[in-house]
Amino acid sequence: MTDTTTAPTTQTIPELQLDGVSKTYGTNLAVRSITADIPAHKISVMVGPSGCGKSTLLRIISGLDQPTDGSVSFEGKTVTGVPEGLAMVFQDYSRSLYPWMRVDKNVAFPLSKVPKAERERRVAEALEAVGLKDRTHLYPWQMSGGMQQRVAIARALASQPKLLVMDEPYASVDAQTRADLEDLLLRIQRELGITVLVVTHDIDESVYLADHIIVLSTPPSIVAETIDVDLPHPRDQVTTKADPRFVEIRGHVASLLRHKELQTGEDRP
Amino acid sequence: MRLIHEPLSTRRQAVLGVVGVIGVVAVAELLMRTVVTKEGLPVPSRVFGSLGDLFSDGTFWQAVGFTMAEWMFALLLATVVGVVVGAAMGASKAAMITFNLPVEAFRVLPSIALGPILVLLMGNGMLPLSITVALACVWPILLNTMYAVKGADTTAIQTAESFGLSRAEVVRRVVLPSALPFAFTGVRVAASIGLIVAVSAELLVGGGSGIGGYILVGSANATNLDLVYAATLVAGVLGVLVSLVMSLIDAKVFDWKKGLAQ
Ligand SMILES: Nc1ncnc2c1ncn2[C@@H]1O[C@H](COP(=O)(O)OP(=O)(O)OP(=O)(O)O)[C@@H](O)[C@H]1O
Ligand SMILES: [Mg+2]
Repeated sequence: MTDTTTAPTTQTIPELQLDGVSKTYGTNLAVRSITADIPAHKISVMVGPSGCGKSTLLRIISGLDQPTDGSVSFEGKTVTGVPEGLAMVFQDYSRSLYPWMRVDKNVAFPLSKVPKAERERRVAEALEAVGLKDRTHLYPWQMSGGMQQRVAIARALASQPKLLVMDEPYASVDAQTRADLEDLLLRIQRELGITVLVVTHDIDESVYLADHIIVLSTPPSIVAETIDVDLPHPRDQVTTKADPRFVEIRGHVASLLRHKELQTGEDRP
Repeated sequence: MRLIHEPLSTRRQAVLGVVGVIGVVAVAELLMRTVVTKEGLPVPSRVFGSLGDLFSDGTFWQAVGFTMAEWMFALLLATVVGVVVGAAMGASKAAMITFNLPVEAFRVLPSIALGPILVLLMGNGMLPLSITVALACVWPILLNTMYAVKGADTTAIQTAESFGLSRAEVVRRVVLPSALPFAFTGVRVAASIGLIVAVSAELLVGGGSGIGGYILVGSANATNLDLVYAATLVAGVLGVLVSLVMSLIDAKVFDWKKGLAQ
């Protein structure tokens, strides 16, 4: 097992660094202390049990919320507001897309300061990338859940992020759509070379997508373990998931999550 | 057997509606010709008969024009004030605290009662009437806007924030657009209230102008009460037309309401 309590990022500089991040809501200590590096140009997946503070961490990373203690830095600079070059895809696409805008206007939303010609080109490219270029004149609520989430991904891509952050992006679509969207993300990440951070509580999904996994403990959460996933690319829903390495890593993550209670509160070096 | 909830076809609905109206009119006619036969009652056939006279009366059309202008100006005023103050109250705590008491106090005042005072202050003319109407119309617009802005979806807002929009931009590009259909529902309600208040205010302090004034003058002379009834009928039909137009606009412009997450 590539247990990486030693530095996982020998070849790549970390794009994003969490340094002792903790969050307390009132008297509720939600996140105890998270220290982690997110390597550049890779897919990192944060996996952890429900309520362990994954969404809280993403809000802190994207500058929408402040940590009670510790700090986040993006490209070496401490995050105070929403960092330039970050885009977020929310789990709840039906609330995250704007129902009064057609698909093309939704995708163009972050580009209001971009000149018109370039804006249109970027919207078209982003919709092409997610396979929706002939659906630009629908409203989001006229589309299926999977299509809506692809619109949300296209909108994030149109803003040309260096770091794409996704909070359980596929939790509310069916299994087939989910597999398609996972493959879409893998393809786009390889094509654009962007850094991606995905949060999920699905173990299979975490191993399938990841170059790098961060396993969180139960709340108040700490990092239980970080794992480098050396499965080859391009990945395939059938062959990759049958790969003995996949099965092995999957089993390891599962056992970490199953024995999560034991790890809570242990002070790890 | 048909279920009571089963929707009727549009055509069937139209037929039933017409049958209802004709039925009520026929019963009224019958009663006023047989049971309650007092002079000066609105016997439908005679009222309809005098519509012709009414429509050929130039002063009546002037009155209709006056009332419509008064009403539209009032609705515009109420919409601007209601949306601006309502949005401010919904978006900012400070504005909420500042305006809450005045709004609660003014809201329970019968605006019609302010009419005479306004006429006293501003003299005769359309403006005091419009302000009276606006004072009655502004509340549904203001309250609907306020609650819609306050209840704007947090995920929608956070999405905009995550793209680096400032607070003012978030309000302009996300909060206000998402509140607009609710504000418009307020305008729809206000439009109907406004027409009623407009005619009432004219009856009370209109100095003879508008449909209310026309009715008042006509009934004082008591020369042709049927003409008065016909004018009243026209005012009612105007009200129905106004709410029809408003619901058409609603269906056309705010069709996307269907997509609002519950
Ligand atoms: N705005 C808030 N105010 C108070 N407590 C909060 C708030 N947001 C989150 N919490 C608390 O923080 C803890 C972590 O919540 P969070 O939503 O980050 O978990 P999560 O890992 O994303 O869970 P899930 O997998 O179910 O989405 C929970 O105990 C929750 O009650
Ligand atoms: Mg969550």
